[in-house]
Amino acid sequence: MTDPRAQAASSAVRARRRRFSRQERLAYLILLPALGTVFVIVTIPFVLVLIQSFSADDGTLIGLRNYSRALGNPLLYEAIRATGVYTLIVLPIEFLLGLTFALLVHRTIKRTGIRAAIYVLAILPLVVPPVAIGVVARLIYAPSYGVLNVILERIGVIHQEIDFLGDPTLAMLSVASVDVWQWTPFVYLVLFSGLQTVPRESVEAAQIDGVTWWTQFIYIDLFYLRPLFLLLLFFRLADVLRVFDHVFILTGGGPGTATQLLSLYMYRVEFKFFDLGQAAALAVVVLVSLSLLYTLITRFLPLERE
Amino acid sequence: MQRITRREFVKRTAVAGAVLTSFPAILEACTTSSSGTNKPSKLVIAAVQGAEDGPLKKVAPMYQSQTGITMEIVEFPYDQLFEKLVTTFQANGSSYDLCMMDDPWMPKFGTMGALQPLDSNFGFTRDSDIPSIVYDVGTWPPPHGPVPPSEQGKSAHLYGITIVGNVEMFMYRKDLATTAPSSWDDVLANAQKFNKSNFYGYVIRGKATNPASSDSLPILWSFGGDIFDSNWKVTLDSTESIDAITFLTQTLKRYAEPGAGNTDAADRDRLIAIGQAFQSTTWPAEVTGVVESQGVSQVIGKMAYIPIPKGPSGKGIGMMGNWLLGIPKGSSNGSAAADFIKWLIQSDNMKTYVQNGGIPTRTSLLNDSTLGQTNPYFPALAQSLAAPPNWRPRTDQWNAVETVYGTAVNQAVSGLKSPKDALTAAATQIRSTMKQAGYPS
Repeated sequence: MTDPRAQAASSAVRARRRRFSRQERLAYLILLPALGTVFVIVTIPFVLVLIQSFSADDGTLIGLRNYSRALGNPLLYEAIRATGVYTLIVLPIEFLLGLTFALLVHRTIKRTGIRAAIYVLAILPLVVPPVAIGVVARLIYAPSYGVLNVILERIGVIHQEIDFLGDPTLAMLSVASVDVWQWTPFVYLVLFSGLQTVPRESVEAAQIDGVTWWTQFIYIDLFYLRPLFLLLLFFRLADVLRVFDHVFILTGGGPGTATQLLSLYMYRVEFKFFDLGQAAALAVVVLVSLSLLYTLITRFLPLERE
Repeated sequence: MQRITRREFVKRTAVAGAVLTSFPAILEACTTSSSGTNKPSKLVIAAVQGAEDGPLKKVAPMYQSQTGITMEIVEFPYDQLFEKLVTTFQANGSSYDLCMMDDPWMPKFGTMGALQPLDSNFGFTRDSDIPSIVYDVGTWPPPHGPVPPSEQGKSAHLYGITIVGNVEMFMYRKDLATTAPSSWDDVLANAQKFNKSNFYGYVIRGKATNPASSDSLPILWSFGGDIFDSNWKVTLDSTESIDAITFLTQTLKRYAEPGAGNTDAADRDRLIAIGQAFQSTTWPAEVTGVVESQGVSQVIGKMAYIPIPKGPSGKGIGMMGNWLLGIPKGSSNGSAAADFIKWLIQSDNMKTYVQNGGIPTRTSLLNDSTLGQTNPYFPALAQSLAAPPNWRPRTDQWNAVETVYGTAVNQAVSGLKSPKDALTAAATQIRSTMKQAGYPS
C-alpha cells in the first residue's frame, strides 16, 4: 500500500510539470546557460558591490557611512553637472546630424556603390580605439602646437592662440566635439537602416497625394524611426556615461573640474584614491539612478510604435 | 585473467590518471621550502613601462646569465601598475617576486603591510655611498616627518631600495644666461628678460592633478609653505602657501606659455627641445628622454641643470620621485629576489646600469666625471639628493590629497579661481578627507 502523502506529493509534481508544456520546458532549458552567465557576470558582482558599499576596507559593516561620504562630496555634484552638460551638448547634435545625413543619403543618393562607400566611411570612426582618437584630438586642440590654432592663424581668422583646453567652456566643447565626431556616424547608420524599412507603398501613396517633403518626414519617416530613436537614446546615454579615454587624454578632467565627468570621477575614487567603499556606494547610486531614468524614458516618452 | 566491466575500467583509469598528473605537483610541494630560500628558476618583476624600467630590462639578462635565474619583467603603464599592485597585495597574490614602486606609493603599501622587510629578513644595511634620504624613502613608517596615526608606534623597517634616483631639478638655457638663477626672484627676472614673441620665459606644467601638483610642490616648499605641518594639520591655506602659488600662477605665469593649464611634461619638453622656452623645472627622465636626446632636441649642450632655486624660506627644496624595488609579501622567492636587489646596487653593476640609461643613487657615480659627460644633470642630482629633497607627505591618502591639491593649482593656473580661493577650498576638502581617514586634521 502506498503512502497517501507520497501520492499527494507526486501528483503535485505532475501538476507542476503539466503547467509547463514540453516546449516551454525546452525553452527554459535553452535559456538556462544565458541566464546562468548573466547571473555570474552581472548579479554576483552587483551583490558584491552592494556588500562593499556597506563595508569598510577591512570588511566590517558600517551601515550607510560610505553613502553619506559619497553623496556629501562636492566633487560628485560637479561631476554630475559636467556629465549633464556633456550629454546635453553631444546627444542633440549627434541625433540631429545623424538624422540629417541619413535623410540626405536616403533621399538623394540612389547608387549602391556610393551608399556602400558612405557606409564604410561611417564605420571608420566607430572602429578607431578611443585612446587613438584622444591623442589625435590633442594634436588638434593642444596649446602651442595644435593644428586648429595653426590653421586659424594661417587663414587670418585669429591673431592670438585660442586656449581650447584651458578655458572651461571651450574645453567642454572640445571634448564634446570628439564624441560628436565618433558617434554621429553610429546614429546615421541606425537611422539610415531604419529609413530602409519604411514601406514603399506608404511613401508612394503619400507622394500621389502630393505631400510635401516635410510632411512625409513627420508623418511617415519619423513614425517608423521612433523605436530606433528609443534604442539610440538608450545606447548613447549608456555610452556617454562611460566616456573616459578621450577626456582623460585631452584635459584630464580640467581645467579645474570642468570636464571631470562622472566616469572619470568614479575612476579616481576607485583607482586613484582606492576608496573602495565610497566607489561601491557611488556605483550603486549611479546604477539605481540610471535604472530609474531608463524606466522613466520607456514609460513616459511616446517613442514606441503604436 | 579477471575480466572487468567497462565502468570499472573507466573508474580505475580515472584514479590512475589523477595520481599520475598530480605526482609532480605533490613532489614539488614536498621539496619547496616555504621560507623561499631555495633558488627559483624564475623571478617575476612588475615594472613601470617607460624610461624608468628601460635600463632594468637591459641589465636583467646579465643577472640571468650569471645566475641561471630567468628574469621576467612584466610591464604596466604607470596608473595600471599601481592598480595591479594594490589588487595583488590585497589578495596576497604571489604573481610577482619584485615590484617597482613610485615613492609616494610607499605609505599605501606600508600601511597595507604588503611588503617583506629587507633589513630584518634579508640583511640589508645602509651603504655610506648612498645618501640616507634614499634609504629613508624606502623605510616605513617614515623615520622623519609626520607619521600616519595608524602607523605610530610601529617599528621602522626598510621595505624598498631605490633603483631610479629621481629628484625634481631646474633647467635653464645656459647659452643665453651666463649665471645660474640662485633664487626664484632670479628665475622671475630671467623669465622677464628673455620672454619674447614665440619664446617663453618660463614653462609651467599646469595640467590638472599630478602634473600641477609635481610642478608646484618644490615652489610651495621653497616659499615655506606646505600641505601639512608636522602634526598633519592642513597648512595649504597659510600665507606662505598662498604666496607660493600666487607667485607661480600669477607672477611667473605672465611669462609662461599659453595654455599652461593644459601643459604636461611632454608639452614642456617639446617647448624646451625646439628652443621655444628658457627655463622650467624638470625630472631626469625628461632630460635623457627629450632635452638631451640626439635627433630629438635642438638644445643639446645649451641647457644647464641645477637644484631647485631658493625661495623666501632661504631654501631650495627639490622633490623626490624615486622608483624603488620591493619584495611583495606574497612572493615565495624572497631570498632570491633580495639577492637580485643586492646585485643591482653593487657599485660595478650600478655603473653598468647607468651606462644603459639608469639613474644612480651612489654619490660616487653621480660625481663620476666620465658618466657626467653623457649625463650633464648628474652633479645637480647629487647636490639635490644631498640637500636633501622633500618627499611627498607620507600618507596613504596621498592620491586623494594630490588630486585635490593638483586640481586647485590647475584652477589657479587656468584663472578659474584666485590662488587664495583655490587653496582655501582645497584645504577644506583635504581636511575633510583626512578627518574621515582618522587623521587629526
